[in-house]
Amino acid sequence: MDSKSTTTKPIPITAMVFIGWLFLMTFLPFLIILGMSFLERTPVGTLSFHFNLNNYIRSFQYIYLKVLFKTVWIALIATLSCLAVGFPVAYHLARSKGWMKQLGLVLLFIPFWTNFILRIYGLVSLLGNHGLINQVLLHFGIIKTPIEILYTRTGVYIGLLYNYLPFLVVPIFSSLEKLDPLLREAGFDLGANRIQVFWRIVIPNIKEGVFIGSLFVFIPMLGEYVIPDLLGGAKEAFLGNVMVNQFFVMQDWPFGSAIAGLLSVLLLITLWLQTRWSRTPGLKMEGLDA
Amino acid sequence: MPLELTGLTKTYNKDGSGFHLFPVDLSIETGEFFCLLGPSGCGKTTVLRLIGGFETPNSGKITLNGKDITHLPPHKRNLHTVFQRYALFPHLSIFENIAFSLRLKKVTRNEIQERVLEALRLVQIEDLKDRRTYQISGGQAQRVALARALVDQPEVLLLDEPLSALDPELRVKMREELKALCKKVGLTFIMVTHDQEEALQLSDRMAVMRDGQCLQVGTPKTIYEDPIDPFVARFIGQVNEITGDLTGETPETYALQSSLGTFRVKKNGHPLSKRLNLILRPEKMRLLRQRSQIQENLIEGSICDLTYLGSRTEYTVKVKDATFKVFEQELERLKKRKLNVGDNVYLTWRTEDAILLNTPNS
Repeated sequence: MDSKSTTTKPIPITAMVFIGWLFLMTFLPFLIILGMSFLERTPVGTLSFHFNLNNYIRSFQYIYLKVLFKTVWIALIATLSCLAVGFPVAYHLARSKGWMKQLGLVLLFIPFWTNFILRIYGLVSLLGNHGLINQVLLHFGIIKTPIEILYTRTGVYIGLLYNYLPFLVVPIFSSLEKLDPLLREAGFDLGANRIQVFWRIVIPNIKEGVFIGSLFVFIPMLGEYVIPDLLGGAKEAFLGNVMVNQFFVMQDWPFGSAIAGLLSVLLLITLWLQTRWSRTPGLKMEGLDA
Repeated sequence: MPLELTGLTKTYNKDGSGFHLFPVDLSIETGEFFCLLGPSGCGKTTVLRLIGGFETPNSGKITLNGKDITHLPPHKRNLHTVFQRYALFPHLSIFENIAFSLRLKKVTRNEIQERVLEALRLVQIEDLKDRRTYQISGGQAQRVALARALVDQPEVLLLDEPLSALDPELRVKMREELKALCKKVGLTFIMVTHDQEEALQLSDRMAVMRDGQCLQVGTPKTIYEDPIDPFVARFIGQVNEITGDLTGETPETYALQSSLGTFRVKKNGHPLSKRLNLILRPEKMRLLRQRSQIQENLIEGSICDLTYLGSRTEYTVKVKDATFKVFEQELERLKKRKLNVGDNVYLTWRTEDAILLNTPNS
C-alpha cells in the first residue's frame, strides 16, 4: 500500500527474503518457460537452441484457438453462475448477525479443509452413472436411465461452481460489510423502496467488490486443468489440459511453454482490464478523501 | 395539529442492556424549530427514528397533519432526515445526491435541474454541484445533506445531531445558518442534540429527556429559568444546590431549613414534598464583602478560586464543606471592590431567583 514511503528507507530483511523467494520460485521459472517457448524440440525430445516463433504460430492453429475460446467461454459462464449463486449468499451473510454470520462463514469454508483432489473425487462418486444422485433417482423410479453428468460439460460447470464459489462470496461479502448501513436508511428516507434501494444504492457501491470477486474466480478458472480432466473427460479439455499434455505426454516442452505464454497473456489482459476499470470514477472511491 | 406523538413507547434489548422509552407525548407546530435534548442513551434518537419510520413503536400513535403515519415505512412518509454522518451516496455526484428523491418521483429533467440548483443556492454551495462526495469538506457535506433533504419539500425535517461532526468554530456558524434556514423555508425542524448550548440557541421549544423519559417541554427561557426537575436544571447551564426540608410557609414564600441556614423561597405552584432542592444559578448570586443590611438568604464563606474571563469573573466560594459557583459581571460599581482568594465573603441572592424543586426519589 505504502510503496512510496518505503522507497526512501532500506528494504527490511523479511521483505528481502520474500522478494528473493518470489524471484526464485515464480519469476525465474516463468522466465525459463518464456525462454523455452522460443526453442525447438528435437525428434528425440530434447531441446534445440534454435530461436524462432514457430511454437506461437503453431498455437494459433484452429484446433488450439478452439480450445482457447472454449476455455474462456466455460470460465465466463461458470463465473456468471458463481455470481448468480454466490451473490445472494454473500448478501444474506452480510445482513445476518452474530453467531449466524460466523456459522455461515464457517460452513462456506468447511469443504476447504478437505484436500482438493479428494473433493473432486467426491464429486465423481456423486455425479457418475453409478453415483449417488443417479442411484437414488433410479431407485425411486424418477428416471429410467442414468442422467449423464460426469464427463460432460455440465460436470465441469458443477465442479467449477463448487470449488470457486467461496472465492467469489468473500470479496462481495466484505464489500457489503463495508457498506455504511446508513446509506440504505438514507435511501429509504428519501423515498426509495427496497428494490430501488438495492439497485440505486447497494449495487453501485459494491460493484467493485463484485467485479474483483468475479476476477478472483475467472482468472484461476482460465488456468484450470484438474476439474476438466477429472469431471469433463477428454472432450472438455481446457487450454491447461492441452498444455499439460504437451509437457508430459507429447514431451514437447517448447510448445507447452508457448501455450503457457499464451495463457499468461490472457491473464495479463484480464488484470489490465481490471486496473483500468477500477480507475474509472465511481468504481474506486475509498482512501481518496483529502 | 402538525406533528403529534401520543403515548409513544418503545422497548428493545440492545447487547443485553434493555432500553425502555416511556410514553412520550409531544405536539410540534408547523415551522417550529424543536430540539430533543438529553445525554446519550436518553432515548432522543429513538424518538427521532420513530418519527422517521426506522423503528416501530410498541404502542402509541404518530400523526402528521392529521394523517396517521405510525406504521408507514420511511419511504412513504413525507419527511426527511439529515443523518449525523450525512450518509451522502459516494457513487453519485453532489448534484445527483440532491436529485435522488426527485428522480424517484419521476420529476421532469428540466424541473430537476431547476429545483436542485435552487436547493444548492439555498445552502450556498452552487459551485460544488459537479464534485464527488470525497472532494468536499465536512461543512460542505453538511450543506449537501441539508439540500438533499429539503429539495422535494418535505413536511418535516429531522436532524440527528447534525453539527456534532463539525469543528467547534464551524459548528457555531452553522447554528445560525440552520436557524435562519428553518425560518426561510418555513418547515418544521426537529433536531436531536446533546449540546445544551446548541439547543438553547436554536430551539423555539425543546424537550429535555433522560432515561427514556421526557422530563420537560418548553421554550429555552422556561427550561432555563423554570425547570421542573433538578436534572433539567443541572443539564442546562450550571447550578448550585442546597438540600433541605420544608419547615414553614407564608402566603408568598416557603421556608427551607438546611445545614447552611434557613432560606426563604418564592412560591411557584409546583407541588412539593418535604425533602427539597434549592437551585441557584451562579450568575444570579452576588458576593458581598460585609454583612450589610440584608438579613435573609445570606451565607458566609471564603473565596477559594477565581477566574477572570473578561465579560465576567467566576468565583468558587467555600462554605463549610460545600462549594458555590458565582459569576459576576465586571460592572462599574464593583470596580473598586477588590476580591482575592482567601477573602471572607457573604453570598446572597434575590428570593425570586431561587428555584425550589423536589429532591428525586423522595
